[in-house]
Amino acid sequence: MKVRNLIFNMAPVLGLLVLVIGYFVVGTINGINVTYGLKAVVNQSVVVAVVATGAVFIYTMGSFDISLGASTAVSALVAGMVYLRTENLILTFITSICVAVLVALLNSVLAGVFNLPVFVTTIAMLSVLNALILLLININGTGSEVKVPSDAVKSLDTLGFKILILTLYFAICVFLFDYTPIGRRQKFLGGNPLCAKLTGISINKYSIIAFVICGLGVGLGAFLSIVYAPTLTRSTASSVGMDVIIAIVFGGMPVSGGAKSRIYAAVIGAFSMSFLSQIMVMFNLNSGVGQMVKAAIFLLVVFIAAGERKTRTLPR
Amino acid sequence: MKKRFVTKILSLLLAGTMMFSMTACGTGNGDAAGTGSSQAGDEAEEYAEADIEAPGEPFKIGVLVADATSAEALGRRHYLESYIAKAYNMEFVYSDELADSAGEKSAIDTMITNNCKAILSESAFDRPAQIEQCEEAGVYYAVGAGALESDQYENYKGYEYFVGSVGPSDNTEFETGYNMAKYYLDQGKKNFAIFGGATAYRNSMHVNRVAGMLTAMVEAGGEGASYQGMTDPGAIIGQLMADGEAKTGQIGDVTLSGYLGGYDMDDAWFAKGAEMVQANGVEVLLAVGSGSDFFGTAANGTDVKIASVDAYADDYYEAMKNGSLDYLAGKFSAYDGPVFMALYRAVNGNPLRTPDGDALALDIGYWVATSADECEEMLSVDADLTTPVWTAEELNKLYDADYATFEGFVNNYSFEMIK
Repeated sequence: MKVRNLIFNMAPVLGLLVLVIGYFVVGTINGINVTYGLKAVVNQSVVVAVVATGAVFIYTMGSFDISLGASTAVSALVAGMVYLRTENLILTFITSICVAVLVALLNSVLAGVFNLPVFVTTIAMLSVLNALILLLININGTGSEVKVPSDAVKSLDTLGFKILILTLYFAICVFLFDYTPIGRRQKFLGGNPLCAKLTGISINKYSIIAFVICGLGVGLGAFLSIVYAPTLTRSTASSVGMDVIIAIVFGGMPVSGGAKSRIYAAVIGAFSMSFLSQIMVMFNLNSGVGQMVKAAIFLLVVFIAAGERKTRTLPR
Repeated sequence: MKKRFVTKILSLLLAGTMMFSMTACGTGNGDAAGTGSSQAGDEAEEYAEADIEAPGEPFKIGVLVADATSAEALGRRHYLESYIAKAYNMEFVYSDELADSAGEKSAIDTMITNNCKAILSESAFDRPAQIEQCEEAGVYYAVGAGALESDQYENYKGYEYFVGSVGPSDNTEFETGYNMAKYYLDQGKKNFAIFGGATAYRNSMHVNRVAGMLTAMVEAGGEGASYQGMTDPGAIIGQLMADGEAKTGQIGDVTLSGYLGGYDMDDAWFAKGAEMVQANGVEVLLAVGSGSDFFGTAANGTDVKIASVDAYADDYYEAMKNGSLDYLAGKFSAYDGPVFMALYRAVNGNPLRTPDGDALALDIGYWVATSADECEEMLSVDADLTTPVWTAEELNKLYDADYATFEGFVNNYSFEMIK
């Protein structure tokens, strides 16, 4: 039984390992530039990994935030506009974080004030943020973009900087999630909200904490978006919201949250997706077929995870 | 037990459907470089194989596209994948339809990983970033069917891996709009509407086309005619860049009755378009893009003439036959032939530069058809699967050509010279 549990718990990590080995094997056979490919994988994964790591706190509580992509875009746009006026990268970084945390706070406070499920307020917030994206771009006067000079961020567009940001944020999240009451109580709230409430745990308080931590990730993701692609348009980060959901589930996170939530799910999922995409391209699968293959693998992951959970009681 | 099984299967099917749509919406960056044959390649007839010996070694070219579905995009893709690829044993790796600069960078990363030795860009969200990325990676880069803005060209013309651009310059775009409007002004038309497309996003190509149209109206508007008090084309371009749209009103005795920009393509946008076309007195709709596709239905039953800029395709010939399109300034499928050869030479160690040692900035214009017969004639030349507009034999002559010969070849793009 212990071996079986271990296999299930390690399945996402093993999956990533298989994909990494597959990438190197297929890549070497096909003669692709695997070293450059690793750089591409990091570039394609890092924003989703950072945002999704923060989002794990929300998912753990059995909640869901659909506005993360739009929030990333708004934070990046405001930060980009601040750069254009101040030419100060530190201020740009701080703005990016502050805007994202502010949006996250607004989400959670609104849910608390109106006593609504958090998911509902994030749907409303998604519309507001999408409108704000258009407004910000128009305010900027170019009609289509906010363009931070690429020279300004070129020195930060390195793998070292991106990995450093991801590692630091991930370390903070691991600490909060696994070694403080925050993570434990959020798991409790996700597993059984009523029971958690009866023991004196405040849903609102932990919801606000989860959103603030997630907001920090969104802010970092927004800054990394500026660093990677400093020409910001209405499409900036448009796929991040959906990619975060896919990455979290791909990484083995139960969609209902609770005790089996894992902080590392987001990073595992984000990198797994990118390696999978690279392998698809190597097999010359066009994007339509690639998406179907990904969907099939995704289903398999969810099916296995769901089957495993049904056979067992809560972890003791 | 059976019920549980059925529920499980149904849940799986539902989840599968949802997941497919999720993955289709998501992974915009990670999956940016799709591969395989094009839609055009799957559906259109194949070109006859060129019986030539390729002068250089084959390699992979990554193609960045922001538009993967228009007649223009499909036609040019078909030429590259179905003709050039076979003639030179090349492989073209197309990106998905790109939506932002992050997608462009991600697609280039994936293409370089997959051993693309050159990038042909037809996506313009952030061309400076693309050029910088390719220069850093040591991968040749060229702009296809378009051109860099002049200040960008000045910045990057000395880059080793920037091969250059072969496509319509801003001047050509201006003339295209100017000639389109003048065609109708010469017929005595006085009441116009304009579809300004990406002028709303300050796209230089569309701004120049609209500026050309307005300049022609100013010239035809009689004494004292001006657009917003301006008569100088440079000032009009500047004003359009500032406003992101053309203002309706009188230009001397010419009336600009309606204007619509952007590509919102929602119900409200189409309703505005219909209202513009059906407004009292409008005689001509001048479109910077495909006017007949967007507003042809709205113009049905009216006498409004529609003029478009796009490419030679069966749909436009049909539109001209049934009267929903009156004027077409179009690109032809082989448009990317010279820029391919420029990349081919560069990767094979024989790069072509201007006499000053700079990257190329060569201009190609459009073929113009003003009747169904003309359109049919141009379409038949463009769609000739045995002898494309620019054959491999002709392109091969450019392999060792000097700059003047290459430029002369590109300048002979007009239909009269080609046919």
